[in-house]
Order: sequence, then structure tokens, then C-alpha cells
Amino acid sequence: MYNQIYYPKSFLSEQSPSIKLAQAYVPIQKYVSIYPPEEALKKGTVFPELDFPYVGEKMR
Amino acid sequence: MDANQLDLLKKIMELEFACQDLNLYLDTHPEDQKALQDYNYYSGQLAMLKQQYSQYYGPLMVFGHCQSQYPWKWVEDPWPWEIEY
Repeated sequence: MYNQIYYPKSFLSEQSPSIKLAQAYVPIQKYVSIYPPEEALKKGTVFPELDFPYVGEKMR
Repeated sequence: MDANQLDLLKKIMELEFACQDLNLYLDTHPEDQKALQDYNYYSGQLAMLKQQYSQYYGPLMVFGHCQSQYPWKWVEDPWPWEIEY
């Protein structure tokens, strides 16, 4: 049903104004500094700007 | 596994991870000289430590990636699940 009605033609038509196309983007990363290897392995990344620790329960 | 061996193995894991992550960055930034310089630096360190490890404690890899002393050393390694980090 979904496929028949909206894909591919109606996606771009005014017949389904409530459905907007999404656009994904990834900004270009710049090389700034990196963690020392022992810290990087613990954190799961060498890049401080990609270090987003999972805090789970605390956020709720 | 004695403390020295474990310490060396951990350093190898840390360097390998750093190289892996820099590898991913360089795939999309092949002309980034600073990143390449760091990658090459850590790769060099990693190769050195791997060489050192295999020499003292036996092969880290088989399938032709490492030579072995007699007798065949691979089966003497502690398996990954036997190591207490």
C-alpha cells in the first residue's frame, strides 16, 4: 500500500504534502588532535571530537 | 601469561586500534599529511612491538604471517579467552 501510493512518483508530487523527503549529510571531519593509543582504545575512538560516551540511565 | 607479556599485548592492541581508526580517517582524507604522519608513526611502533612479541612469546598470527620456532608455537599461546586482562 505504502509503496503503491507514495513510491516513487508521489514522493515528489503535491499530492502528499505531509511527507517530506529527508536529506542526510555528514560534515567533513578535520584533523585536530588524537588521543594517545591507550586512551583511544578505552574510549573507542582516537578522535576527541567523536568521543560521545554512552551515559544511558543517567540521562533519564 | 606473565605481566610483561600481557603489557606488551595490551600495547599492541592499543596501537592496532589507533592504526585502525586512523586508517578509516585516511580512507576519506587521503591527502591529510598530519594524519598520515601519525598513522605511519604508530604503524612503525606496532610493527616493532609485534616483532618483539613474536620473538619472545610466539606468533600473533598464523596462515603464513609469522614464522615459528620449533616446535610449532601457535598452540602454546594462551587463547584469547584464557587471558585475564
